[in-house]
Amino acid sequence: MAIIGNPKYEQRIERHLAKYETKRSAVMPLLYIAQEEYGWVNSDGIGEVAQILNLDPTQVKSIAGFYTMYSEKPKGKYWLQVCTDLPCALQGADDFHAWLKDELGVDEGGTTDDGLFTVEHVMCLAACDKAPMLQCNFRYVEELDQNKMRQLLAKWRSEANGRG
Amino acid sequence: MSDTVTINIDGQNYEVAAGANLVDAAKWHAGNDIPVFCYHPKMDPVGMCRMCLVELGTPGRDRATGELLRNDDGSLQIRYFPKLQTACTTTVSDGMHIKTNTQQVIDARNDVLEFLLSSHPLDCPICDKGGECPLQNLTMRHGPQASRMYFEDKQLLEKHYPLGDLIFLDRERCIQCARCVRFQDEVVGDDVLAFHERGRRLQIITHSDPGFDTYFSGNTTDICPVGALTTADFRFGARPWELNEVPSISPWDAAGENISLSMRLDRDFGGKAMIKRVMPRQNEWVNEIWITDKARFGHHFTRAEDRLQQPQMRTGGTLRNSNWEAAIAAMAATLQGADGDVAAIAGSGMSNEDLWALRQLLEGVGAGRLGAWPPTHDAAPHLEQVGVGAGTNLSELGRGDAILVIACDLEEEVPIWRLRLKQAQDRGAYLVVANARDTRLEDFAVQGARNDKVVEGDAIRYAPGEAVSVMRDLQKAHPQIAERLSRAENLVIVAGAEGLSLAGSEALAAAAANFLIESGHTGSANNGLLSPLPGANGLGLHYLGFTPQTTLNIMQEPPRVLIVAQAELLDDDPAAQQWLSQVETIIYAGLFDDGISQRADFILPLQSFAERDGSFVNGERRVQRFYTAQGPMGQALPAWKLFGGISQNAGIANLKPSAAAVMLELSGSVAAFQGASYRALSRTERQFPDVGGRDLYYGGTAYTNHGGIGLQIPTAADRGADVQRRDMADVAELRAGEGELLIMPITRLYNRQRSFRPSLLVEQRILNPYALIHPDDAAAAGTIDGDLIEIVAGESKVRVRASVSSEIAAGGVALPRHLTDAAVPLSASVGTVSRVTDAVAVR
Repeated sequence: MAIIGNPKYEQRIERHLAKYETKRSAVMPLLYIAQEEYGWVNSDGIGEVAQILNLDPTQVKSIAGFYTMYSEKPKGKYWLQVCTDLPCALQGADDFHAWLKDELGVDEGGTTDDGLFTVEHVMCLAACDKAPMLQCNFRYVEELDQNKMRQLLAKWRSEANGRG
Repeated sequence: MSDTVTINIDGQNYEVAAGANLVDAAKWHAGNDIPVFCYHPKMDPVGMCRMCLVELGTPGRDRATGELLRNDDGSLQIRYFPKLQTACTTTVSDGMHIKTNTQQVIDARNDVLEFLLSSHPLDCPICDKGGECPLQNLTMRHGPQASRMYFEDKQLLEKHYPLGDLIFLDRERCIQCARCVRFQDEVVGDDVLAFHERGRRLQIITHSDPGFDTYFSGNTTDICPVGALTTADFRFGARPWELNEVPSISPWDAAGENISLSMRLDRDFGGKAMIKRVMPRQNEWVNEIWITDKARFGHHFTRAEDRLQQPQMRTGGTLRNSNWEAAIAAMAATLQGADGDVAAIAGSGMSNEDLWALRQLLEGVGAGRLGAWPPTHDAAPHLEQVGVGAGTNLSELGRGDAILVIACDLEEEVPIWRLRLKQAQDRGAYLVVANARDTRLEDFAVQGARNDKVVEGDAIRYAPGEAVSVMRDLQKAHPQIAERLSRAENLVIVAGAEGLSLAGSEALAAAAANFLIESGHTGSANNGLLSPLPGANGLGLHYLGFTPQTTLNIMQEPPRVLIVAQAELLDDDPAAQQWLSQVETIIYAGLFDDGISQRADFILPLQSFAERDGSFVNGERRVQRFYTAQGPMGQALPAWKLFGGISQNAGIANLKPSAAAVMLELSGSVAAFQGASYRALSRTERQFPDVGGRDLYYGGTAYTNHGGIGLQIPTAADRGADVQRRDMADVAELRAGEGELLIMPITRLYNRQRSFRPSLLVEQRILNPYALIHPDDAAAAGTIDGDLIEIVAGESKVRVRASVSSEIAAGGVALPRHLTDAAVPLSASVGTVSRVTDAVAVR
């Protein structure tokens, strides 16, 4: 699919464009949409965002490169970012992170062979009281343990397979 | 507010221009070179590199009363910022104090420099920039003796990253000043360069298609303060200190870009002086400090193998090598025996001195028909009357001013004008572009939304062939646009010849002149008419009496003896074979043989602009001289010497000893050139910004102008003459009949002209032969995009690929000149388009 002409994003794009006085200011929210659609900020997405905003693709690429929450490498369908900052680490997040990588058989930042999961550790996500926690595609999943995580992974797997 | 303010630099007071920044002010007024890397006087300051830190203080005021605070001795109390400030982002204000030589400032510079060097390879010994490198120079002054950086932590990055076909990026050397990025954005208006990632991983990238391929890309290598950007043409070619700079003028177009030829005695050229590279030479009125890539990379033709190098003469029906003495004597006899039935056609690459010598020769044998080549633009008589006023500087156009560009594509015809007019629009000028098709400048005129820059502009799209009536009836058809143009403080109209016959181009210039006269925009600087006449000396031809109308006359009534000088008739004119066959004797002098040797009785090698001195008149009527730089090719002569030699042999006039002497005579004989002695032409003056001095870090490696800023010929309006409108009730415009289309030859900057072909580096950027055609017209011709089509107009028959697009108005076909081997029509003419159905593939 694409972003342009995709009914899924039409309204959201309109809303973002309406928010700003100048069109180019909408580059960041639109890049998120591109990332959502393609799983990462790829060349197609950059081209489409540039087209919508009447910018040169180089300028859009530059923005995507500056901010770390845009991924310029392919990611799994579920992008799991585990917080391992100090308060979380005190709650065992470090071990949890290590276990999760083992469980999925990936290294830091790696993606499972089936293309479903990418695991990486991140800095504080401001949910220290609910540690260990992670965000999956920027949505928080909190108060985790191995059991809960296994269930979630199973759920996501069947979700992905069901649709696929 | 007054125009100047007083600031104190290192204890001395200076009166400086209000609105300037501290770097510019300190340099211009105090000769104080505050070091910079990212700041460039032609671009907005960004304060990124931090090299220009100074101690900055302003007069203190009492917070309650607003009174200026004074010390006990009555002097003003200066309050210094606790931290150092960047001079480039600070605008001067009255009473401001700066210190540029304190220990604190020097320490800061040392620290910034050490930081910049933390991952710089310091490979100066193999770097093209070594010897004229701002970073190298400032390292000598401020750099640490030894690096405190762990060697292992130095980044190893790509050394030869092709940023485009012509420019290489060395990512290790880059210090991320963003000058190239900002040049593309602010100056060129093509923001295809940007930063990617951040911190220590920051890199210059392009992610556009096409990428970094503007016509101005070479300028980034001049302003790059390190050796990160180098040209594919010069890299590893020579060291800067081996080069001898010779002032010259770009031979390509009406801009008359001031260039500097970097010469070295070279093995590759038989030990003779050879152009190693072409650099910009500052002339703020003409090209500022920029040059086009064509001027920079197009010098190879001067040493091309296939250049004519030996005089040849036809004896007994065969063309044989001869010598100058015999050839000149034979020509003198031929010309004297022609009973005055002699005519000459001179190309727009001929210098004024050449043209004068040729004219003297013709007059001496009782002939008077002087033709200009190519006969496509006939705006010169109007440029003489109401051309842009003396002292015009396109960089002064801005808010309140207006520009109308009609029937031309400046990006392709005179790129420097396009660059400067786009910048005028950025400064607030109102830009109107009128044409029968899309052009680059039109994009700027209408796409104000791009990058959300608020710019003023309009576009007029007219049906092919209608340029003259659009200009004449502007008030009626586009009252709002006409009103804004009329009311503008300053107005410049650029009238071309695209889609017009020769007579049409004259009529368009006349209509434009009418508009200027009516709205009172003549006879003063930054007002008046411009026209992208082809070649470097289109106006010189006019002032010396060579006209395109005469050329048409010569083509209709060929003379017994025709002198063709630096004009490639067979390449340009599909009918040339035919009418040349009626000429008894052809004397051809030029650089290349376009096939005329089949017919000509004399083939005479001429020197290129690089091998001799001379002068051109640019499109703004500026007479500019160029100097001898390169060693000669074979036996080639400068044209003035050849024609002067024939004159002497025929007893008409003595051969002058030098080009300077020819110019002296010329300036005493032709009113327009009055006072234009070489001495006057080589006059220079101090220009802002002060580039090319010791501190290359300020303006880059554009060279200081030591060769002269030239002398502008005043227009009739400038001299106070009463310029009159011309009645234009009847205008004969080209109209295509049923089943016909208007075939409009257009100019592409990169083409297969003989003089450009040897520049192999640019070859892959020359487009394959094509013609732009509207979808409706394509459908009517039964053709689709990519089809091979045959275009027939008069004697011209060419086969090219159809490029079907609504970028062009219906009814016209844009057919680029010099992309195919076959000549396209000289000027717009009515013709037909058909799809090629025979199976013979034509490349």
